[in-house]
Amino acid sequence: MNEEKEKLDITIKSNTRDLFAFTKLVPNRKKRFERASSDPITKDPMNELAVRLHPNRQYLVINEIKDETKSAKTFKLTPDPDSNTKELAYFRAGQYLSLKVQVNGVMITRPYSISSSPSDALKGFYEITIRKEEQGFLTEYIWNNWRKGTKVVSSGPEGYFYFEPLRDLKQIVGIAGGSGITPFRSMAKAIIDDTLNAKLTLLYGSSDEEDIIFYHEFKEMEKNYPSKIKIVHVLSCDVVSLEGCEQGFISKDIIEKYCNPPSSTFFVCGPQIMYEFVEAELKKLNLPTKLIRREAFGEVKDILTFPDFPKEVAEKTFKMKVQIGNSCKEVPAIATESVLVALERAHINPPSKCRSGECGFCRSLLIDGKVYINPVSDWRKGGDKRFNYFHPCASYPITDLEIIVPRDF
Amino acid sequence: MSKSKEQGIKDSYDVVIIGAGNGGLTAAAELAMRGVNLLLLEQHNLPGGFASSFVRGRFEFETSLHELYDWGPESNKGGTRRLLERYELDSEFVAVPEAYRLIVTNPDDYIDVVMPFGIDAYLDAIEKAVPGCRDSVRSFFDLAQEIDIATSFLGRSRGNPDQEVLLKEHSNFLKTAAYSVEEIEDALNIPEKAKGILNAYWLYLGIPTNRVNSTLFTSMVYGYILKGAYIPKFRSHDYTTALDAKIREFGGKIEYNTKVEKILVENGKIIGVETSNGDKIKTNHVISNASPTLTYNNLIHPKSEVPEIAYKEINARRHGISTFVVYMGLDATAEELGLKEYSYFISNIMNTEELYEELHNLEIPNVQATICLNNAIPDCSPPGTCIVSITSAFLPGAWDDVKLEEYFTVKNKIAEGLINNFEKATGAPIREHIEEIEVATPQTISRFTRAYNGVVYGYEPDSWDSIVPRLAMMNDDKHIDGLEFCGGHGKRAHGYSSSLKDGQTAALLTLQDLQKKGELK
Repeated sequence: MNEEKEKLDITIKSNTRDLFAFTKLVPNRKKRFERASSDPITKDPMNELAVRLHPNRQYLVINEIKDETKSAKTFKLTPDPDSNTKELAYFRAGQYLSLKVQVNGVMITRPYSISSSPSDALKGFYEITIRKEEQGFLTEYIWNNWRKGTKVVSSGPEGYFYFEPLRDLKQIVGIAGGSGITPFRSMAKAIIDDTLNAKLTLLYGSSDEEDIIFYHEFKEMEKNYPSKIKIVHVLSCDVVSLEGCEQGFISKDIIEKYCNPPSSTFFVCGPQIMYEFVEAELKKLNLPTKLIRREAFGEVKDILTFPDFPKEVAEKTFKMKVQIGNSCKEVPAIATESVLVALERAHINPPSKCRSGECGFCRSLLIDGKVYINPVSDWRKGGDKRFNYFHPCASYPITDLEIIVPRDF
Repeated sequence: MSKSKEQGIKDSYDVVIIGAGNGGLTAAAELAMRGVNLLLLEQHNLPGGFASSFVRGRFEFETSLHELYDWGPESNKGGTRRLLERYELDSEFVAVPEAYRLIVTNPDDYIDVVMPFGIDAYLDAIEKAVPGCRDSVRSFFDLAQEIDIATSFLGRSRGNPDQEVLLKEHSNFLKTAAYSVEEIEDALNIPEKAKGILNAYWLYLGIPTNRVNSTLFTSMVYGYILKGAYIPKFRSHDYTTALDAKIREFGGKIEYNTKVEKILVENGKIIGVETSNGDKIKTNHVISNASPTLTYNNLIHPKSEVPEIAYKEINARRHGISTFVVYMGLDATAEELGLKEYSYFISNIMNTEELYEELHNLEIPNVQATICLNNAIPDCSPPGTCIVSITSAFLPGAWDDVKLEEYFTVKNKIAEGLINNFEKATGAPIREHIEEIEVATPQTISRFTRAYNGVVYGYEPDSWDSIVPRLAMMNDDKHIDGLEFCGGHGKRAHGYSSSLKDGQTAALLTLQDLQKKGELK
């Protein structure tokens, strides 16, 4: 600034009044305090709304179980009357619930897409549809133990796999494999009940006729709302007898036969193996990234399929020193299992939801040692990468480890 | 990687800090660096509070920071920079290219100017936009400089300034401290349109220029224009995580996902805290990064230990705005979209009082502060893309009557309106390029930070409750022995810089108290 400037001498009202106003600042503030009400504040409306939309836990009970196929069941969940869950959190069609289940003494979490409509949540129920996996630790347990009346603890609705009107084109092309159809049932119902202003063409891959989940339900929806819902079954078995089905996998040709790729937004949900195939097919269509939405597929089934995973440690079990809250434990960690699984096996239950590296809920600090993080599930923030924070659900021990894990709450 | 000195949570600490927001983090860093045995508890699973980031698809978004104040270049370091450099943080900051582009769209008020940093350059630009205003605006900066010097003096005096020095050397500061910025601008005869340009930063303080205290406002404008504005190169989560790393390195203990449920008080003195995880921790000192509103209304236990005056103070003050942010990852470059600036202030009219009053309503706000991150950090998103985030605000109450089933529709409608307003003002076709979008409302703020009612901007800094009386009364505002506050509701009012500095101040006051009572081990 100019050093030779004239000395500024400001007057707002008058010299005396301005100085007086200054001297009154503190007394006036005291006076205002004295005069104010001494009632405590009891309302926090935004926090109340936040808790209703995003409850940390929802205590539910199985109200009804329906067999969908030989290996798939739909569980209708309602608020557990013995709990403080009085209403269900509203959600966007395509979101999931992370269920917390104790299996043979081990507490685990699993994400399941909600298969009912958001408006059903307002009526007091969610549905989730689960397919029994051949070597499923959890589904085996569910099939043996879940009955009407069984209590289930879940997270609030989570995930980003939903139609976003500001971004997505009104024509949705759903590409689903196996139980990956569940979020699309929710979307279809939301489209029909006008919660969602969009159209859905669903390309649904199953291994054979008997594996198709919601066959009749989708046929019915298609019949009643032909301008809004269309479903094409793609069966990978050798002989296809079902009328109007495609045989093979969901290829570029099939996509082009039933859809108009540049004017549609693609939503892909299915097992890891389907992703790999569909990704390659979609690539051939040269679509902008924004037109393809992917649901996280959960934990990688076989980490050894990742070429940069250090194969030499595959057979190893490492020692993992874990600090959680005020306790410190040393537990075994198998190289081909995620750090989260090792923690759960050892009865250490950090928070977790997506099990896909995406939500960051299990974020932990690596103090010493190395983990392999599979590149497709590395959703960490830049700062976390620089300061050795990692997501145990998407990280694999490749040396002995020392880690700090947050407690669940 | 160094082997840790980490240990589990212990039964007692010299100091427990509640909340790892900007203030809580610097409070913890300062105390840990001085060897104080401390526990920092945070309800969320991340540090930073508002100072964070999140990832969607190919993009990592800055959650709330637009421009860090009082950082400054290497040659003229500001207080905030000097503070974080004390802790030798491993985190980079980069300069923002221009002060702002202001667009006022209504024909009667129409303005479209790009204002540069540097006082002379700024004066040149404002003179060009409003011929004849240069001298009056120069006086504004001269005054701002004096006020800035005076507030540093006041800050150093820890609530006990030498009255004689104040009168002799800081008379212009004294004479303006009780007035709003508009009263000052009128006394300096700044033309209306030049006032409009000068007042563009009003949304950063969140109250209209006829109420916002001149001391605070002029210091802010002066600080930005003189020293420039900076942002973290790798988003705020990077520097808050760098602070986390330093706190641990200094021997401090941090525990995430741990909500303090009770601050235990006995005979007016803090004796411990209890957490949602069932921890019962003994301590005689708490630094609360939670607001006095939350601390006195929800945390102090038993309630009989809350003095009546604490409630009165909270009720006398006015809770500030909450924010509404539309975060967008776009599949076009800033250049392709024709976006040349980093910071855009856009409104339909110039009158800040009217713009503010509209924020009571659950409608599309006519004012927004928008940033295009790539114009400060070109490689902050993948090649061929850019990040644009539009921020507006709502006053407490605006979202109270939203029904669950309407919530997503309402927030999308408002987001869409803000996008339209931005497109109309700048001509940049952003809507068609949205690859990722996330919308944060006051509910979102509440969800992640648990700030009372989603309030972002602490208590409104009207002159009666601005930094001068707050600093002067900082010893009177203490009601429970061992309790200090820090953060955006604090002595220096809100903002990243204020909160970071306030954390250090709270740490030093606590340290003083520990020493006085001989409680340091």
